[in-house]
Amino acid sequence: MLELLEALLSSTLEYCPALVFAALGGMLCERSGVVNVGLEGMMRTGAFCAAVAALSMPTPVAILVGMLAGAALASVHGYLCIRWRSDQVVSGMALNLVALAGGTYLLESLYGPNGTPPIQQLTRWHLPGLSEVPLLRAFSGHSALTWLALVLPFAFHWVLYRTPLGLRLRAVGEKPHAVATLGLSVAGLRWLAVLGSGLFAGLGGATLSTAVLDRFEQHTPAGLGFMALAAMVFGRWTPLGTFLAALFFSAANALRIGLASSAPGLLEVVPQGFLLALPYVLTLLLLALQGQRTHAPAALGTPYEQESR
Amino acid sequence: MISLRHIHKRFGAVTALDDVSLDIGTGEVIALVGENGAGKSTLMNVLYGLYQADAGEIRVGGQPVRLRSPRDAIARGIGMVHQHFMLVPTLTVAENVVLGREPSRWGRMDMDRACEEVAATCERFGFKLDPRARVDTLSVGSQQKVEIVKALHRGAQVLILDEPTAVLTPQEADDLFRVARELAAGGRTVVFISHKLREVLSVAERVAVMRRGRLVAEVRAANTRPEELAALMVGESRVPQAEAQAYHPPQGEKLLEARELQARGADGRPALRGASLEVHAGEIVGIAGVDGNGQRELAEVLTGLRELDGGGGTLLGKPLTGLTPAEARERGVGHVPEDRLWRAVVKAMSVEENVALGRQGKAPFAKGPQVDFAGRRERTRLLLQTYDVRPPDPEVPLQALSGGNQQKVVVARELDAAPKLLVVVQPTRGLDIGAVAQVQARLREARDRGAGVVLVSLDLEEVLALADRIYVFFEGRITGSFTRPEFDEREIGRRMLGTGQEVAHE
Amino acid sequence: MSDRLRAVLPSVFSVFLALAVCWCLIALTHDATKATEAYLHLLRGGLGDWAKYLEEGTSTLLTRPLGEAAIKASLLLLTGLSVTVAFKVGLFNIGAQGQMLVGALTAAVVGAQLKLPALLHVPAALLGACVAGALWALIAAGLKLTRGVHEVISTIMLNWVAVSLVDNWLVVGPLRAGAGTVLSTTGTAQIAASAHLPRLLGDSSRLHLGFPLALAVALAIWVWLARLRTGFETRAVGLGAEAARAAGIPVGRRMLGAMGLAGALAGLAGALLVLGTELRYPGSLGAPYGFDGIAISLIGGNHPLGVALSALFFGVLRAGGTNMQLLNLSKSYPELIQGFALLFVAGRLVWLAFMRRRQTAAPTAPVAPKQPEPSPEVPRA
Repeated sequence: MLELLEALLSSTLEYCPALVFAALGGMLCERSGVVNVGLEGMMRTGAFCAAVAALSMPTPVAILVGMLAGAALASVHGYLCIRWRSDQVVSGMALNLVALAGGTYLLESLYGPNGTPPIQQLTRWHLPGLSEVPLLRAFSGHSALTWLALVLPFAFHWVLYRTPLGLRLRAVGEKPHAVATLGLSVAGLRWLAVLGSGLFAGLGGATLSTAVLDRFEQHTPAGLGFMALAAMVFGRWTPLGTFLAALFFSAANALRIGLASSAPGLLEVVPQGFLLALPYVLTLLLLALQGQRTHAPAALGTPYEQESR
Repeated sequence: MISLRHIHKRFGAVTALDDVSLDIGTGEVIALVGENGAGKSTLMNVLYGLYQADAGEIRVGGQPVRLRSPRDAIARGIGMVHQHFMLVPTLTVAENVVLGREPSRWGRMDMDRACEEVAATCERFGFKLDPRARVDTLSVGSQQKVEIVKALHRGAQVLILDEPTAVLTPQEADDLFRVARELAAGGRTVVFISHKLREVLSVAERVAVMRRGRLVAEVRAANTRPEELAALMVGESRVPQAEAQAYHPPQGEKLLEARELQARGADGRPALRGASLEVHAGEIVGIAGVDGNGQRELAEVLTGLRELDGGGGTLLGKPLTGLTPAEARERGVGHVPEDRLWRAVVKAMSVEENVALGRQGKAPFAKGPQVDFAGRRERTRLLLQTYDVRPPDPEVPLQALSGGNQQKVVVARELDAAPKLLVVVQPTRGLDIGAVAQVQARLREARDRGAGVVLVSLDLEEVLALADRIYVFFEGRITGSFTRPEFDEREIGRRMLGTGQEVAHE
Repeated sequence: MSDRLRAVLPSVFSVFLALAVCWCLIALTHDATKATEAYLHLLRGGLGDWAKYLEEGTSTLLTRPLGEAAIKASLLLLTGLSVTVAFKVGLFNIGAQGQMLVGALTAAVVGAQLKLPALLHVPAALLGACVAGALWALIAAGLKLTRGVHEVISTIMLNWVAVSLVDNWLVVGPLRAGAGTVLSTTGTAQIAASAHLPRLLGDSSRLHLGFPLALAVALAIWVWLARLRTGFETRAVGLGAEAARAAGIPVGRRMLGAMGLAGALAGLAGALLVLGTELRYPGSLGAPYGFDGIAISLIGGNHPLGVALSALFFGVLRAGGTNMQLLNLSKSYPELIQGFALLFVAGRLVWLAFMRRRQTAAPTAPVAPKQPEPSPEVPRA
């Protein structure tokens, strides 16, 4: 039993960083009032660019490249949505499609359909003291990104609720006109949030190709960006809620893999499809139980116009 | 102290400000009056740095300055309280006040210090506000105080108040005037934007009048009468004559008899807590009250948009409970809602499609399951003509019309259905004087034709001008009822605050 | 008429801009001649090799590619319409994929399990697929109406549930062809011949009844939205739900109706795939049809006829895409064009403003403000 739990924990910690980063990025963006359904595309761009970069440079630097690539895609989103007040959902969806097809196109014309050549994975930290202790052993053997994913939500929480910048971000997502009349720049704050979301979504993607896998694959991130979106909504647009939701999704996934490998007999009784569907069905149920009250920022999705009331 | 010189501002083809020059001295209360769209708010938004003037110069203390954003204006000691409050409802009073200049230590916001600072500012100017209260739990009057504190906290020497009394009771307005005078006595300047002439004359020393983007007159309040100001505001040729309102005794058939109505507001909290009222054919019943005392929910209950939690009664011969919007329309209830673009019209649809809304299944708007394009076009043309909507084009999207013309379309549509009971909420808010007069005349016509009209308005002047009877709402209950000609503005105001003596109503 | 033209223009221009950008992309990653050659291949693959046809006179040189284009177009059209209809009532249907999947599976089951004459079998399978898709979509609509769950999230979740249950359970388990035997195939059993959608051109093309059916459906939806009262009410709900409610329109019923229809359309797309070309449920849908639907719908300006045009255009490109492999280019190339086209549609304000500026060559006019409006937010006591 303890071993199963340990495997579960370890697998969750392995799987969660990408989701946590992307979901936090999405939350950052939406708290400033800009919808970001383009997370999937930003992750894919980050994953691709990090994998390609890692072929010729050290992996940590490649991750940075992936983050910047995500931010580059996000800057298109920002340009269309902030500068030109375009429809935020359409823009995000368009970026998804461009990243989806563009990734496939570049991959196939540069490396063939089977993915990029393998790269040097990010170093895993084996913590000598920890690897002896039962259960806590699960925390050993992960990359630095796992640890970052465990710390980052609290950092986000601190920034959002304890710093002037956080106050301004929350205000701009609720009532941008109030922020503008105090002489702060609505566009500036939103740009910050959108670029930040690109950085973190890109980091999420880079995590997939440098820590979880060792290459960029045809289907990366395979819908994880949309799961991040769901985690954000599920977490009610708060850093810690988003974190918990992302952990929940990761744990559900880990549970499926864990059950399939540790108790093969189980699959005879419960088809794997049921286990696969479980987290999604649970999410739907929990969202339905969460009830009517919306927790979305009030100005979410509304472009800001200065010379209007 | 502040001097605006030859300010010009255009929005596309529209000239909003045309060579406006105005001096604002230290320690005075100056009023800026004019119709809606005369350019008052635009001028002040230029002074506050929200809009950039196309030409002209602003001097502060003799120095020419460029105000590129509110940040510049704030730095020059200019503060503004907007008509629609610029507060973040989910944040606390202190957070709203310090936003943009937050006290912090090592990157961390110092909330305790922020609260202390805000409390100190409040105390200094005699405001009673809890810095830790969330803004959306405050009354409108308190929210306005937060706005004023926000400006003063930033060291405003000049305080611009845009239509500050629009949503206040007479008592709250008096309180505001007292504050304004005290601020002026303390060496600050208060600029008052308003179109309520009486209050302007009572609070300001000097009045500047704007008309169609120009500054047409500056007068001393002491030797000016409201009628003169009105003439200046609208131009000599078309002073609307305040229609003498005769007393219409409620004699017609009883259209509505509501008993102990109870309903929740949009936030889920009880809003109507046992209101009983009657409406007869051929009378206008005014509902007076401070914003958020259940009037909105009353209108929603009567039009089937909100479910009753308790109480009941009859509406047009059938029970009030379980009423749906479709059923309400079927019985003959017309509705001119408060928030036009949200609830009355679909702005992206054409004018004719909007005219069909509510009767989309009936002649002349439908033939069987099909839309009757010809009939709809014809009826819309007729209505646009009768109600003088411009442009009289049935095909343009509704959002291309001005606010006044949109409202005329709504009123035309609702009256065209020949309602037995008409529920109107804030029907003239944001309209210019011409449109206001027209809409009010239409309501009187409907009344004279034999319809019952329920008029919910936050503007007490409007209720006093139009209603035959008035119910005063406070905290979801009726705290007073008055029948013309026994309207007593002060007493109504006290009842609006729940402080008047209890009346046994019949 | 000129108004309509003006409404179409941004989309058309976006598509051409996308074609140009993607040409540059090949020119950069390979070379310019290859890029031009690629476009010729696209056209030949989608519209037929007219030059060779005029030389040889073999009609299959035209009918094959055109038939493939029509087949691709009908799937794009139906998923596009699915997204469009949901948009009209104000819902964003990201779930066309899942709805199509359950529709395809239902069609495959009905096609394989029932024994009916052809005249009944095909309609039964189509209807089954529509109902299945509609029910799947109604879960999302119901959750939205009763529990306030945002449809974007719920349809994404439902996509995953559909994939998990169908692809990872049903078609590898109980519904697998030869289930209970040792045969290791994926996918369901072949459908009966009576359930095949009739081919229209015999053996010279795979073109089947699904194509005219999809076009007829597009026309019907256009008539419904533009000319019938319920269509008007549906649009009113989408553009202003509260105003529609105040006007006595049954908002909930219209939402359920439109979302059900959206699901039925996606389900129908699944049926066409199974009954027309695959002839069984092959184990997975194999392509992100739901995403395509979103792109096609938005590029088509959310107008049924515009959606039809954009589906036809991208159907041709898609059919031509298979030809790209002859040049060692990714067959996903048409999808890239589609993605960029949507991006340019999304950013049309940018290049429209740019063009206007050059046209007038005048100093930029300030943006006219809207008429002063009472703000919709009312301070709350």
